[in-house]
Amino acid sequence: MSNTTRKILPSLITASFVACVGAATTVVQAEGASPAPLAPLDSIKMPIPPDNKQSDAKTELGKLLFFDPRLGGDASVSCSSCHDPEQGWAWAEDFSRGYPGTTHWRNSQSIINSQYMERQFWAGAAASGERQAPAAAKGGVAGNGENDIMEARLALIPDYVKRFKDVFGDEWPLIGNAWRAIAAYERTLIQTDTPLDKYLKGDKKALNEEQLRGKAIYEGKGGCIECHSGALTTNQEYVNIGVPPSKRWQKDGLAQITFRFEQYAKGQTEKGYRKAKSDWGLYYRTKNDWDKGKFRVPSLRYNTYTAPYMHNGVFFTLEEVVDFYNKGGIDEEGNTTLFPDNKDKRIKPLGLTDDEKSDLLAFLEAFSGEEMVTPKPKLPEYAPLFTKAELEAVKK
Amino acid sequence: MVNNVAKKNTLRKSLLVIPLAFAMSCAFNVANAEKLPELKINKAKAELGKRLFFDKRLSGDAAISCATCHDPEKGYGTDKALSPGYPGNGHFRNSQGLINTAHKKVWLHDGRLGTSLNDVTREMITEDYIMNMDMRIMQERVKQDPKYVEMFKAAGYGEPSNGSVRKAIPEYLKTLTSKNSPYDAGKMSDSAKAGEKVFKDKGCVSCHSGALFSDGKAHNTGVPENFDVFLDPMNHQAFIAFAMFQGIENYMNLKRDPGAYVQWKKADKSNMGTFMTPSLRELTQTAPYMHNGMIKTLEEVVDFYNKGGGEDSHKDAAMKPLNLKDQEKKDLVAFLKSLSGDKLTGADYVWSEKYSGEYPVIADWNNKPN
Ligand code: HEC
Ligand code: HEC
Ligand code: HEC
Ligand code: HEC
Repeated sequence: MSNTTRKILPSLITASFVACVGAATTVVQAEGASPAPLAPLDSIKMPIPPDNKQSDAKTELGKLLFFDPRLGGDASVSCSSCHDPEQGWAWAEDFSRGYPGTTHWRNSQSIINSQYMERQFWAGAAASGERQAPAAAKGGVAGNGENDIMEARLALIPDYVKRFKDVFGDEWPLIGNAWRAIAAYERTLIQTDTPLDKYLKGDKKALNEEQLRGKAIYEGKGGCIECHSGALTTNQEYVNIGVPPSKRWQKDGLAQITFRFEQYAKGQTEKGYRKAKSDWGLYYRTKNDWDKGKFRVPSLRYNTYTAPYMHNGVFFTLEEVVDFYNKGGIDEEGNTTLFPDNKDKRIKPLGLTDDEKSDLLAFLEAFSGEEMVTPKPKLPEYAPLFTKAELEAVKK
Repeated sequence: MVNNVAKKNTLRKSLLVIPLAFAMSCAFNVANAEKLPELKINKAKAELGKRLFFDKRLSGDAAISCATCHDPEKGYGTDKALSPGYPGNGHFRNSQGLINTAHKKVWLHDGRLGTSLNDVTREMITEDYIMNMDMRIMQERVKQDPKYVEMFKAAGYGEPSNGSVRKAIPEYLKTLTSKNSPYDAGKMSDSAKAGEKVFKDKGCVSCHSGALFSDGKAHNTGVPENFDVFLDPMNHQAFIAFAMFQGIENYMNLKRDPGAYVQWKKADKSNMGTFMTPSLRELTQTAPYMHNGMIKTLEEVVDFYNKGGGEDSHKDAAMKPLNLKDQEKKDLVAFLKSLSGDKLTGADYVWSEKYSGEYPVIADWNNKPN
């Protein structure tokens, strides 16, 4: 990559765990209550489960595992395949790439800052990083791995055997601890030094004039703050904002296959399987009709590097996103969600002028700092577990 | 074993292969040659099964088909000691030749499946170190291919489903039966006939009995371990995954193939290293031999038995030195060879039409029920 790449600084990482100033990102907003103001990211604390404390040895192991394709079916796909540091720790197409022979059906989410979230995935299907990782490594269109073979592989990599023993006390690496190590590593992938953070911490020069005007629109006429609020720039509610179904469903056979598979995988009824023509989002978890087409309000941090946007990647630029909001949750061809009844009342035409739009876009840029890239680690190798002499000595 | 006479319905249209060999052999009538019973085959279902058998899209990453490990040119096995595995891992056993598998009641080297070929097919498709396929994805891939939609309908299965995939493939496997072996055709050489006598006199027949030359039971013959299973981490990982799944205690330390021990884990482990008596038909197509391919030629197999088999404290009592004369050895090999017939490689058996590289789009998707 170019000279803009830089290593993730360990100092940034540790600093972020220190203090909790108590920003209330987890408080569910009461109707009509004013949204939490934007706040520096390091004003909130990374949630760390009591049974998976951070340590350097653990995050180092987690990093290796995150990049290791042997934690997947045919040993060709790692977490980093779809969460590529050089593509915003995501995948730069509308749908994520899939397991070989498949495509995914949703846009790949960035790992950066993801572990602050209460729940993982576009519709919050996983409760934590520890639970998210196995779902990713095992899902048929993602890693397509099985516990037994993945655990067997780890046992045949001496460096991992040693590390799992040091970190977790495992006699042989346990797959559950692989997910713990990965989650711990992901908790280090955060960005707290964006222009927005600097500004909010008192560096008034961190935002330019245009961006300041944009901030006012974000918090006022644009109404973005209603949902994209607080330090994480999300209230973590589930909302249908009118994103239209992907057009890939109409013209891509491979995508049609995955679409139908996902209906099964997400526990659709036979009737739902027959008639679904878009991603029903939160509905798959709750089975409430009113949850169709709802997705978790995403963070807007690090967005400069994570195009395309939305759960299905229908918008390739932030300009398109802003136009979509300006029209009231309708794209330029007039398409919107297949569940208009569920569309959030706060999404309505905004009447932004071209200047206002470009101010807003300039402000959105302040949500991202420098690109965070890390060199791919050198992965440890397999080695035979037994010697020939040991095999010959077996008494039958 | 019952010596089944060819059934009356030989001329029914549903039969894919008219068993000429059987008809002819009646004329020459070898006194006690044991015939394989004829199987009723539904042609449309078998044809569908054939297309599925050779289709790589039945594996997780669409890189291998059943035929990758069950090659028609190799008697539907491979010529390697150890089978290939799913990409990313190896395997720990020899790939079994599938000719006549439809006549079996118990499958796999360790006999761990004794229900139906439907279940064996499911195991092959879903097992992570074999085809690693989520069958829900498989079903949707099949549904995306108009040719399959047509063929499932013609076969009477209606809409493609993973359940009918698991029925159609076994129907195809029924078409893979011995054809024109000198033994069945009553055309054995004098040496082969002499070998048949050795075979009976020296007790081979006590285990290799009936029309399949198998008692369908597991025995310990002392075949040595194939160390490549343990020295190559690609193979060893498949072995560990298997042993783990089978619930074998201390699987990380296991240094031998447990064989049929996985079926009944005897406390004294006396059935460790027992394997199913394989059929002896079509051996000329399926070298190397034994569950782990440790013996390369039939001559070496005969030497192995002549020595009384390998070393194992639980070796079957029937395994003892035979003191065969050179001529007897040659005759025995000639007999074994006479149990092999034609390769099953023509268009009757092998799907040769190309599969389309991309999945066609279902048009007017919005208005069509999935
Ligand atoms: C084949 C592509 C692919 C692979 C491999 C993959 N992911 Fe993902 N990941 C995705 C997609 C697509 C999503 C969004 C899926 C959804 O919402 O249903 C996602 C979502 C996530 C999220 C949620 C982020 C958030 O903000 O909620 C995390 C965390 C994550 N992946 C981590 C991992 C880890 C860890 C691995 C390896 C164990 C992994 N992924 C492997 C494609 C992939
Ligand atoms: C009513 C709540 C709500 C409001 C108001 C709102 N958003 Fe969103 N925003 C969401 C949700 C929910 C999504 C994800 C929708 C999906 O994927 O279907 C989203 C997605 C986005 C994305 C894409 C993020 C990504 O990673 O793909 C951007 C950019 C965005 N919003 C910017 C804005 C801006 C700018 C405004 C103000 C003009 C705004 N949003 C107002 C709820 C809201
Ligand atoms: C990656 C290699 C591989 C692939 C692919 C594969 N097999 Fe197998 N097959 C084997 C091996 C190895 C065995 C013996 C396994 C054992 O004993 O545990 C076997 C055994 C069998 C048996 C049992 C034979 C007997 O007589 O007991 C049948 C039947 C079979 N396979 C059918 C299939 C079908 C049908 C497919 C495709 C759906 C398939 N196989 C795909 C390797 C493979
Ligand atoms: C005690 C029962 C028993 C007797 C007696 C016996 N066999 Fe076997 N035979 C087996 C078993 C079990 C195997 C498979 C062993 C394995 O896979 O490790 C086998 C394997 C074979 C094979 C290899 C087949 C293949 O496809 O890999 C041949 C050939 C064979 N036997 C021939 C003979 C001959 C010839 C004799 C007599 C000299 C004989 N057997 C006697 C049980 C027996």
